[in-house]
Amino acid sequence: MVDFTLPHRPALADAKSGSFGAPATGNRIMLAALPEGHVLQVLGSKGSAGLEDLIRQIGGGNPNAVRAYSPGQWFVVGDAALSPADISGKAALLSGKASIADQSHGRVRIGISGTAVETVLAKGTAVDLHRAKFPVGHTAMTLIGHISALVTRTGENGFEILVLRGFAESLWDELIQMSLEFGVDATVNH
Amino acid sequence: MASLIACPHCGPRPKEEFTIRGDAGITRPTPDAGEDAWYAYVYLRDNPRGRHKEHWHHTSGCRRWLVVERDTMTHAIYAVSDASAPGETA
Repeated sequence: MVDFTLPHRPALADAKSGSFGAPATGNRIMLAALPEGHVLQVLGSKGSAGLEDLIRQIGGGNPNAVRAYSPGQWFVVGDAALSPADISGKAALLSGKASIADQSHGRVRIGISGTAVETVLAKGTAVDLHRAKFPVGHTAMTLIGHISALVTRTGENGFEILVLRGFAESLWDELIQMSLEFGVDATVNH
Repeated sequence: MASLIACPHCGPRPKEEFTIRGDAGITRPTPDAGEDAWYAYVYLRDNPRGRHKEHWHHTSGCRRWLVVERDTMTHAIYAVSDASAPGETA
């Protein structure tokens, strides 16, 4: 029995938005708070290999929905909110070879794009972000400054960053700071 | 201190992403091994000069335990492997 409703407030609802930094327009950075749809952590059971095709079904076939970050561990993300019934429907597809932990409430996605995006992110992480080493769809769990984050390339000049909810606004402010030399447009649409 | 660790799952990463546990060569004594064996296991460590195998945890990456073989004098890294037995990784 719930005595009161818990309103969902997006983590970046009150984050800084607008245009910051250099007025030059050539290679501005776009920063976007992405919809807080679903973030599912999928954990393979011990000794289960070759789960990739199965995990792709959990992602519903959407490109870049499935993000492998460790042996037997994936994040599956999407813009649509999922009900507990939707999630148990997805868990049934795994038939015991892996389990799903719903992290939708706990992790937030930030989109960052622009021709200079690699230079911006390289200020925070030591991962080689060059297209040849980090192609579209590739994912890496790493540190951006002191904040742990999952970095995924979603386009030629675009990345998505998955970060713990409590660190999201702090990382948001740091990404703006890192982008100032190119100019940055930050949008929070919720 | 070695600065770039070639994680077998993530590729080369800076040492800031890792947590070091220590000597990978010591084995846990049996529960009835006696006070001396347990004292040695818990407290006593060699401080080798040269090649040394250690357990490193990739805390800010794949979160796997690794065995890093490195040189404590030259900071060279000789080998990095997952700490689990082959085939035990999901």
